[in-house]
Amino acid sequence: MTTVVTSNERIRQIEQFLYREASYLDRPDLDKWIELYTDDGTYWMPAVPDQEDPHLHISLFYDDRVLMEVRRRNMTHPAAASKEYTIRASHIISNIRVEALDEATGNCTVTSNFHCFLYYRDKQTPFAGTYTHDLVRDGDSYKIRSKRVDLINCDAALNTIIIYI
Amino acid sequence: MSYTEQQIAELVQPTRVHRKVYTDPEIFDLEMERIWAKTWIYIGHESQVPDKGNYFTLNYGRMPVVMVRDNDDQVHVLHNRCGHKGVKLVDMPCGKIPAFRCCYHGWRYRLDGKLLGVPHMSGYEGTGFDKDDPQYSMQKLRSESLRGFVFATMNPDAPDLRTWMGGAADVMDNLCDRAPEGEVEAAGGVLRYEHECNWKMFIENLNDTMHPMIVHRSVVDSALDYIKTLPEDSPRRDEAEIIPPFGASYEVFEETGITGFRYGHHYDGGKTSIHADYTIDPDYKAAMLAAYGEKRMWEILSFNTHNTLYYPSLTIKSAVQNIRVVRPVAYNKTVIETWSFRLKGAPDSMLKRTLLYSRLINSNGSMVGPDDLTAYFRAQEGLESPASDWIEMHRNFGHDEQHADRVVGKGTSDLDVRTQYGAWREFMTGEAA
Repeated sequence: MTTVVTSNERIRQIEQFLYREASYLDRPDLDKWIELYTDDGTYWMPAVPDQEDPHLHISLFYDDRVLMEVRRRNMTHPAAASKEYTIRASHIISNIRVEALDEATGNCTVTSNFHCFLYYRDKQTPFAGTYTHDLVRDGDSYKIRSKRVDLINCDAALNTIIIYI
Repeated sequence: MSYTEQQIAELVQPTRVHRKVYTDPEIFDLEMERIWAKTWIYIGHESQVPDKGNYFTLNYGRMPVVMVRDNDDQVHVLHNRCGHKGVKLVDMPCGKIPAFRCCYHGWRYRLDGKLLGVPHMSGYEGTGFDKDDPQYSMQKLRSESLRGFVFATMNPDAPDLRTWMGGAADVMDNLCDRAPEGEVEAAGGVLRYEHECNWKMFIENLNDTMHPMIVHRSVVDSALDYIKTLPEDSPRRDEAEIIPPFGASYEVFEETGITGFRYGHHYDGGKTSIHADYTIDPDYKAAMLAAYGEKRMWEILSFNTHNTLYYPSLTIKSAVQNIRVVRPVAYNKTVIETWSFRLKGAPDSMLKRTLLYSRLINSNGSMVGPDDLTAYFRAQEGLESPASDWIEMHRNFGHDEQHADRVVGKGTSDLDVRTQYGAWREFMTGEAA
């Protein structure tokens, strides 16, 4: 893949958008986070490297807006024992590359590397990997049509992943 | 301390078990020797080693073993260690090899485990070392396959696999009969989920029908709450059939019933289960009708179980076509694997639903499994308290029906746990055949 050369201003806008999305997951604030997605938006965390398909292979997550809405409600439901614990995260995003850009619409595909520390139930767990965002232009900003999260240890025996990374 | 058989027998009583069965590492060590090395343990499905030279590695109890297909198309389960210095011969989850070759001194083995060659053999001349002595080959476990599901045992006296399964084999048969071609194959990969709890806490939850309406209320409420906001003519979604039954009432679960068998096996459901009301895909129905005819098709599709346990290592969902495999690591750590299966001859939509189920219910990121796990690890930690030494299992005690080959009870009976501990006690005290 070749990185599309694009203006500093465009790159800065994309960076700021990715940072904003990450900040909603840091807190976490799923009400605001969901609003960053298009109506047909999806969040996908494959279970193997280079996974091609979310339907005929198992994934750790594959949520469309419907499942995001269920998860948003479940996150604050008083009877969800696994959600009683404090959840805090810190995401660092870097190595941002615009892989494809439609000059006419401004829609683009962006890959980035991330490190995320997740604090949950007295334990801090590091996650690392690559994000692939399909972004659609929305006024001065963007919306997410799909976010793919490739963990470097996606095929290991992992514990609970309590929230979107 | 070291337990006498009498002391072990006293840990399990008709309506209660001692907390040490979960919290004592010495009991865990004894379980690995006396249960996991003595009964049939699930290894994998033959479809995971489709071609000659394909192998699949795992721990059998704590012992590394490898399932492999040899050049005569025979599937073997071998101890994964070199006959020389004990080095593990293959150390990837799966792969394909022409022969086993040790990474240390290059000893080579046939795919059925027979030692083929040792480099620089001249040094062994006249030393008494005999390359053809079977002790230097890879050692074979006794293994058997039931409709492609491969089990192994270290116990030469264990009954044959089908006898050991007893009436619980009906569910394994039903899983395979649900394929128009009568066969299933592992498909769509595996989820491996680390549980910080004793292995028994996981299997004791399978037919625990008193927990779903408590533990899974949040996800059911959340799903129903969202569904309410949708227009009535919204397209049907499998999620809306899969999630809400986890919030079914005590009365619904009571009706499903539980059936227990010798050696610790049991299932809930039969006539009905929380999987019974799934929409039947019309293409699948057509394929089943063509394969079996109307009467036999409905016989197959109306046998609806929820979870079936083949004690201690395998639990299957025949109506969903996924399985979970129990891999104990330590007294307080267990890895649960979720595998999904394709019904041969069925449309892809069936596998897609199976994988949706595995992801929605069993994945590390799901909204169901993590709430179960929270209950298990809180129990694991809570049982460190000596406030009481005993965990009770009285529900419906004395009211289950004893039949010649099975015990049948109401859906909320603790007969599943009592069945498990009956087997546990027999194995741990050496009474089991």
